[in-house]
Parts: sequence; C-alpha cells; structure tokens
Amino acid sequence: MDLDSGTSSTVGARVQAIPGRPAQHGALYQFKQQNLPACKPVLTPATVIASFLLMGFIFIPLGLITLRASNSVVEIVDRYDIECIPEELRSNKLLYITDDSISKNCSRFLKVPKSMRAPIYIYYQLDNYYQNHRRYVKSRNDKQLLHGLGDNSTSSCKPLESSGDLPIVPCGLIAWSVFNDTFKFSSGSSELKVNRKNIAWKSDRNHKFGKDVYPFNFQNGPLIGGGKLDPNTPLSDQEDLIVWMRTAALPSFRKLYGRIEEDLDADDVIVVQLMNNYNAYSFGGKKKLVLSTSSWLGGKNDFFGVASLFIGTFCMLISIVFLLLHVKNPRPYGDAMYTSWNKKSSSS
Amino acid sequence: MMNAMNVPSKRSTLERKLDKLILTLFATLFVMCFIGAVGSAVFVNKKYFYLHLESSEEGGAQFDPRNRFLVFLLTMFTLITLYSTIIPISLYVSIEMIKFIQSTQFINKDLHMYHLETNTPALARTSNLNEELGQVEYIFSDKTGTLTRNLMEFFKCSIGGEVYGTGVTEIERGIAERSGKKIEENISSNAVREKGFNFDDPRLMRGAWRNEPNPDNCKEFFRCLAICHTVLPEGDESPEKIKYQAASPDEAALVIAAKNFGFFFYRRTPTMIYVRESHVEKMGKIQDVPYEILNVLEFNSTRKRQSVVCRYPDGRLVLYCKGADTVIYERLADGNNDIKKVTREHLEQFGSSGLRTLCLAYKELHPDVYESWNEKFIQAKSSLRDRERKLDEVAELIEHDLILIGSTAIEDKLQEGVPACIETLKRAGIKIWVLTGDKIETAINIGYACNLINNEMKQFIISSETDAIREVEERGDQIEIARFMKEEVKKELKSCLEEAQSYFSSLSGPKLALVIDGKCLMYALDPSLRVMLLNLSLNCHAVVCCRVSPLQKAQVTSLVKKGAQKITLSIGDGANDVSMIQAAHVGVGISGLEGMQAVMASDFAIAQFRYLADLLLVHGRWSYLRICKVVTYFFYKNLTFTLTQFWFTFQAGFSGQRFYDDWFQSLYNVIFTALPVIIVGLFDKDVSASLSKKYPELYMEGIRNVFFKWRVVAIWAFFSLYQSLIFYYFVSSSSLSGKNSAGKTFGLWDVSTMAFTCVVVTVNLRLLMICNSITRWHYISVGGSILAWFIFIFLYSGISTPYDRQVSFSLHSEAGNLIIPR
Repeated sequence: MDLDSGTSSTVGARVQAIPGRPAQHGALYQFKQQNLPACKPVLTPATVIASFLLMGFIFIPLGLITLRASNSVVEIVDRYDIECIPEELRSNKLLYITDDSISKNCSRFLKVPKSMRAPIYIYYQLDNYYQNHRRYVKSRNDKQLLHGLGDNSTSSCKPLESSGDLPIVPCGLIAWSVFNDTFKFSSGSSELKVNRKNIAWKSDRNHKFGKDVYPFNFQNGPLIGGGKLDPNTPLSDQEDLIVWMRTAALPSFRKLYGRIEEDLDADDVIVVQLMNNYNAYSFGGKKKLVLSTSSWLGGKNDFFGVASLFIGTFCMLISIVFLLLHVKNPRPYGDAMYTSWNKKSSSS
Repeated sequence: MMNAMNVPSKRSTLERKLDKLILTLFATLFVMCFIGAVGSAVFVNKKYFYLHLESSEEGGAQFDPRNRFLVFLLTMFTLITLYSTIIPISLYVSIEMIKFIQSTQFINKDLHMYHLETNTPALARTSNLNEELGQVEYIFSDKTGTLTRNLMEFFKCSIGGEVYGTGVTEIERGIAERSGKKIEENISSNAVREKGFNFDDPRLMRGAWRNEPNPDNCKEFFRCLAICHTVLPEGDESPEKIKYQAASPDEAALVIAAKNFGFFFYRRTPTMIYVRESHVEKMGKIQDVPYEILNVLEFNSTRKRQSVVCRYPDGRLVLYCKGADTVIYERLADGNNDIKKVTREHLEQFGSSGLRTLCLAYKELHPDVYESWNEKFIQAKSSLRDRERKLDEVAELIEHDLILIGSTAIEDKLQEGVPACIETLKRAGIKIWVLTGDKIETAINIGYACNLINNEMKQFIISSETDAIREVEERGDQIEIARFMKEEVKKELKSCLEEAQSYFSSLSGPKLALVIDGKCLMYALDPSLRVMLLNLSLNCHAVVCCRVSPLQKAQVTSLVKKGAQKITLSIGDGANDVSMIQAAHVGVGISGLEGMQAVMASDFAIAQFRYLADLLLVHGRWSYLRICKVVTYFFYKNLTFTLTQFWFTFQAGFSGQRFYDDWFQSLYNVIFTALPVIIVGLFDKDVSASLSKKYPELYMEGIRNVFFKWRVVAIWAFFSLYQSLIFYYFVSSSSLSGKNSAGKTFGLWDVSTMAFTCVVVTVNLRLLMICNSITRWHYISVGGSILAWFIFIFLYSGISTPYDRQVSFSLHSEAGNLIIPR
C-alpha cells in the first residue's frame, strides 16, 4: 500500500517558510508539523525474504547449539515411589506410608549410561504436587523466619499457626510439609560422598532465614506433614527447609538434594539407599530421583533446541516459497495501479 | 431561537465501538473466571493433605471441599481481581492524552491550516472527535460564507432592459473551461476597485449614463440604491473615508455601488437621508439633496423585499422597493412587458453566472392615497398584538403597481481552492451535500462552480416551483396545499427513486445528483416519505438543498446520521448553521465574517473551506489510524499478559495464585508498556501528508472502518492467544530442568519473572512491527521501556529480598471475609 518509493526515506520539510514569520527548524517545530525525521519500513519482497532467511540462519544454528548442550548433559531419572513399596502393600499405599512400624528402607540400582563428570547434582522430583496453590504459597511468615518469635502476627500461617500458646517456628503449611526422603549413594563397595552444603540459594540463606531462629517447637502437633528439623540448628543452616520453602512454580518440580563430587564412569552401577518417608501417595503424586550433570545451558532440555530448529526451518521454507512466488510473479513497486481503489474500478 | 436545539455532547463512533470491545472483554473475563472457578471447585480435595483443606480455621472456607459451591463463588471473586488486567483501564487515559496532544499541538498548530490574511489558525475545540474526522462519509455544507467568501461585490446590473458590467464570474469561466472556450479578459486600467464594488462599464461611470437611451431609468436606479436601505454611514463624510454599517454585506455593496455611480449617501438622520448627487441636472454638477424618509417597510424573510417611502425636496412622493425577483414581479403594474421580459432574461443569465440578484422598482404616490394609507400604517405600527403580521398586511396595500427599474447582480466569490477541495473530497469517497437558503438556480450554479455537479451527472430536481403547485397555491387553501404538495412530492420521489434504481442496477450508469427545495423538503421529511428520500439521496453523489431553513438543515443532517448510520460532518459559518453543526457527528465552523456563533457551536474551527481537505484527509485519517492502532494494541498487550496468568491458573490447582508479583502487574501498564504506544498514537503515519492529499482514495479505509473491525480485533486476539501460549509453555517447560550454575532450581517468582521478561520484551518489540514510520522516539521509548523493566527488577530484587512477596495476598482473604460474615 505504501507509495513511497524508497525503503526508507526522510521526509523533508513540508512547509515553506511563511512570510512574516521567522523560519523555524527546531525539533518542536518538526513535532508540531508532524515532520519528525522517520524511517519507513516498507515490506518489499527483498526485505521480507531476507529477513525470513536471516531468522532461519539465526535459529537453526541456535537450535543445533542448544541441542548439543542439552545432549551433553547426562541425566538419570528414577521413579521410586511405587517400586519402594513392598509388593503386598501396593494395593494399600496409604497404609504403607502412614504406618510407622513398616520399614521405609528401600534400595535402588541405577546404571550410569555415559560417564558423568563431577559435580553430579542430585535432585528429587515431585509430580502432581501443588506447591503453587494459593493456600500453600501464602502459608508462611517471612518475618518469623528471619527474626524468630517476636510480636509478629503469624496469621498468614493459617491453618498451622501455633501449637499451644506459642506460634510454631517455622509456621505454616510449607514448612510443615517439608520433604523428608533421604538418599545415600554407593558405587561398588565405596560410598559416594554427597555434599549437602550450599544447596540453597545464597540470598535465601543470608537474608531470609535467621541465624538465631531455632525450630524449637516444630512438628509437635497431632498431624505430622513432613520431616522434622533439628531444634539445635538455626534456620539459616537448615538447607533442606530453605530449598523446600522456595516454592516451585509448577506442579512438577525438582529440588536440589546434594552434589556428588566425583566422576562416575559409564556402566557403573550406583546403589541408592533411600528412606521413603514422604507421603506422595494420598494425592497420587510421583516421586523421582534425578542425577544430572550440568552444561553451560543448565539441565537436560531438548525442547528449546527442537523449537528453535523448527522455527528456523519454517522461516527458511517460507523465504523459499516467497522467493519462488516473487520470481514467478514479479511486479513493479510504487505503481498506483495496484492500489485498492484502482483495482476495484478496473474489475467492475 | 425557534431553531435552537439542546447542545448535544458528542462522542466519537470509534469510542462507542470501543465500549463494545470493553464489554466483550468483560464477557471474556467472566468466562475465564467461570472456568477457573469451576476448576477450583472440582480441584479441592482433602487428599492434598499438605493443603489442609478441611481445617476449620477462619477464612478457610475458600477451599473447603465440603462446600464446593462456596469454593466456586469465592474463587470467582478472587479470579475477577486476578484477571482484571484484561480490562485496559489505562487505555482511556492514554487515548485522552494522545487526542489532547493531537488536537492542541497538531491540528491547532498546522501551518497548512493557518490563514495568513486573517491570522487564524485552525482550532480544535474538543479533543473527542479527532478520529471521527477520519471516517466522515457525508459533509453538509452551508453555501454563503462557507463555500463562498461572503464578500459581496456589485458586479453587474440591468437597467431598463440593458445589461451593464463587463466582468466575468468564476463560474462563467468554469463553464467556459468545461466547454473548451477561452475567455479573454480586458481589465481596463481605470476600473474602480474597492471593497464591495467590482464593476466596470464606461457607459455608466462618471456621469456617462446621461447619454444612455434611458437616463431617467438610470437615475431612478441609482436613487433607489442610495435611498432604499437601512445602512448607517460612519466616519468622515467624504467618499473615500466613509464606512457603511449594514445588516448584510449585500446592502452595503449596493450603497457603495450608488456612491461610485455618483449618488453618494453620506448622512442619515431619523427622518432624512442626504445624498450628494452628481451629474443629475447637467454633467459635472454636484448637489446635496435631502430626502425625507416617511416610511420604512423593512425586510424580512417572508416579505423578501424592502421599501422606503420618501419625499423629494420638491414634495414628490416616491416609493422605492427592492427585493427578490419573484415578489417584485408579482407586484408590477401592467404594461411595459418588453422591459419585464428582457429583465427576466437578464435575471436568469445573472443567476446562471452564480450572481445574487435583486429587482428594483419604484412608484410615484399621490399625496391623498399616501395619507390614507399612512393612517393605516400608523395604526398597524401602534397595534399591540400581531404587529408584524399587520404591518405586512398594510405594506401589501401600497406595494403594488410598481414600475420596474432594473436589477442588480452581486457576486459572492467562491473561496480560494473550493472546487479543488471538493474534487479531492469527492475522490476520497465523501458525499457532499450543499444546504443553502439561496434559490434553486443559484444553488445549482454554485454546484457547477465548485465541481459538485457536472453535465455528466443525471440530475433529479424536485422543486415546488411547478405550475401545478402554483395553481393550487393561488387558491390559498392551506390544507389543500399541504395535501397536494405531499402527493406531488411523493410522486416525484417515487419516480426519481425508480429511475435511480434502474441506473444503479445497470452499474455503468451516470452519477446522480439530487436538487430539492425547502418546501418540498418539508414534506419529504415527513415520516412516511422519509425512507424514500433517504434511499434516493444516499444513491446520489451530490445533493443540493436550496431555500432551506436552519431547522431543516439540522433535520436533513440527522436524517442521514440516524437513518443511514453514517458519519456526518456539518460545516457552516453563520448563526443559521448552528443547529446543523450541533446535529452532525462533527461540526466544523468557519471562523469568518458572520460572527462567532457557528464557531462557538462547532467542534473544529477553520478559516477557509479548503482546509477541510487537510483536516479530514491528513489529520482525520492519521488520527483514525493511530487511535485504531492504539486501541487494538492495548487490547493485545493486556490480553497477552492476562492469558499467561490464565494458563498458570490451570497448573496452580485453579487456586487463583498470582503468577506475577503485584508490582509487576500494576506497573505493566503504567511503566513497562505505557510510553511506546503513546508515541505510536502521536507519530505513526502510513503515508506523508502530501501523499494523503494526492491519493484521497486512501481515506476510504476510514469510511469503511477497516482498521477497527471485529476481524482486526480477532486477529489481534489470535496473536495474543498464540504468543501467550508460547510465553507460558516455553518458560514452564524450561523450568523443570532449569538450574543456575550451581545446580539450584528456580522457584515460582524466578519463573514468573522470566515469563514477565518475555512478555515485556515481546510486547514492546511487537509494537515496532505495527509502526508504519519509526522515529527516534520510537526507539527511545521501546528501548527505554524494556530497559526500565530490567532496571526495575534489578533494584526490586535487591530491596525486597528480605521478605518474600506475600503481602499482597492478604487482600484476597479480605475479599473473602467480606463475602462470609464471621
């Protein structure tokens, strides 16, 4: 539709100087006369084809690079929530998890598909677990976590606010439901050392959880949701709790458990001794153990690479189609004959 | 005051359509909330033990699975506050801001619409209607002072059957040009030119009239001009310095003409008029003659004439009368048929040249006749009831058996550039209706002169000046006249409509023009005939209504406005155009000679008709384009943002958890996406001003409203849907395995910040894609907005690290508490 010939043009002064008035050339004058210098992006076949081509050239390599990065990550995912129940109890999972007398010990054998370089991150993954439910997300008290007991109101922690007269420290659903499965790893005969320090975000440890706050009355109530905390360790050192309390965005999430700081070779078999304490059975959740190395792009995720490749290829195809159309059907530009009103009159 | 109407408050059509869009958004909001609330009621289950759903603490009812209906209701309210961002509240503020700047800075300051001679810039008196200017389909224009300059100049005259005056009118020139002839003009150097007088004929000037075949007639002609008027002289009593104060410019022009012919009216007392007459008794002799004014029978619109009874110094009693040709001819004495016939021909000739004509006549009065009439006159004048009517009746008694002197022709020149402007507007698909108080011939000629009508057009003329109607009128029965007229008009309309439709179906038929006069219009506007009139006139490319009253002007305007649902614009300059200006969607006043009433009633005021092209084709079109872009873009950006939130609801157990931090959500419209769209609303233009005027057809897009159709909105909605899905699923799918360099995973607020970054960056860059021209302010505002987000998040994370962002959520529980009394 654009009838300007060039792909970009600077509009010159529209108005001659009016006699009797001083000629004005400032930006304000240009603004008022709507004459600001502007570039006009005109969609000519050349620019369109070129830009699609360019997008193809950007996205295909980008996709390849990210796919490569994703492929370089070795990831072992093991779902253990069902396997860890003794056969005879699988029909009644709730009984299994709520009965304290049944042993929760469980062993898993993981085969390393490719050699894994240290550090190897250990995550636990929960599926169908709504840490992002509104009731859950708000059920905490940040002031209490940082400053401990005080005159702070803990009403936000409802429904797990206080035990007896004192507020629970830390109060709220999130803390109450802290994850408490534990994992021990060994390879062959030697135990693999798991570093469980420094698994929480530094800002959380330093600025959100107090050094003088001790969970002295935690998990004393009649209902027990998750793990217990050592009453003699300040919250800022309870890294499992800190990790747990950074609530996840989606109902499937991973949280860091620790790091194995040794390389693992291909075809090694890792034995995992785990305590299957946490109740994910009542709501049909899944529990998984994830061992993963890391690349410069993070964990294993093919999605972005595949998506980029798809976009890049698509742009390439479009540019080729446009090119063919243009070669087959060229027409001059800036011809008023092609404007809508002229077309209409010629067709009628 | 009879024509006064209530002053309407005007809103633009686009804004009214915007309301519908907002309503649709509300409906969408409701549907989204409903889906979410149903989901929430289904989701709540005590199996999610970690949520403690069945506890009985206060405020716990929001998610209590034992009462799912209550869950549904409460979640509904939560979600309404959560999704309220879908309603672009800031849109109205932004639009107001944009329009304000458009009108005060662009329209008011445009040098193309600045009239140097009168030092008048264009004036937008409201900022509501800028984009309405881009969609006008019908223009209703006044004639005098709007199409013409309202500068009356004595141009020609016909005295005793002889035409004087050598000038050529613009209309004649136009006609000649159309027929291919060329007119050579010989402007003699000694022609007298002054304001109000553009006449040159050596046969009359400087006393030469004495040698004409009819010097007595000439003398009476000049005396009539000098005596029969209500003009007041002002200033020095010398021909050069005197100023005349007249009720209408025509009257002043006539007195000025008399002065130039040597009959200089220089003083008025309550009973006397003093005229300095030259060359009367013999060449070169100048004498001051006092005439005693006995009676003034004033002009009004029903009489259409004006008379003065005066006594000469020698005691002679003479009545001078001037008025419209129709009324004068009715009152002429018998005999002298030659002159009558010739003069009538001259009148038609003047009329077709677009001149305004008046007939002059006089009558000697016998003192006895006069005395007896004067008694009646005084009686009528002192009567308390119906004085106007009685005076008219008394005047009727004496204004008969007149002797025709001749006629005057006054030119009201077309304004500069009017024909070109009308041509341009016509090409833009705008239909122009001229509504004038002039007679049918003058109106048609003006139509020709300004390119509105041409010979290729098929003209339908519906006039009350037919023999059949005249005959009935002469019988004088008002009811009969009305009935007959209505039948006639109906018949005419029907036949015209049928003919028009036959042209219409044949496709290649000629363009149509309709000419209708005020009397017929009165009947045609009757509810039973209204539809027919509308159908006929909408098929015409040009419509001329002549001899219409101010109220009829307004009626015709609202007929099209309401009947055809098209956007109308009225333009006029006088007090008689006020009701029409108020009735139309957009009223434009010409800040000209006839006072300020039209301007005070108008929405836009311009100095010259030709600026209408700039106002509509440039400012109107751009405003329309820009506002459409702003509105649809606002719709898009808020929908996109809200939809990401909506998708999150599905994965948060329908609990109404916020995806975005409170601050992000509230600053989204205020800081991160506010400025660029305003810049587009101010600076975007598809083609330059000169191309807009060179290709007026571009304007048709506005008439068809192609930029704000539901289809356009649907396309934007599709983009929102698609982009929000991409934002949400790209971010959420990467969040599972996403980790930082130390292997730590991301929480809810990390992921939402990521998603918000995607939204802000994409929405801002998407704006650049809809721009037709990109100035440096576009880059600055878009870049600045994105940068502002990054700076904000940098600072905000630092400040709010000590506490997680939970404060806002108390608001929802408060809302919950309002619903359930504790």
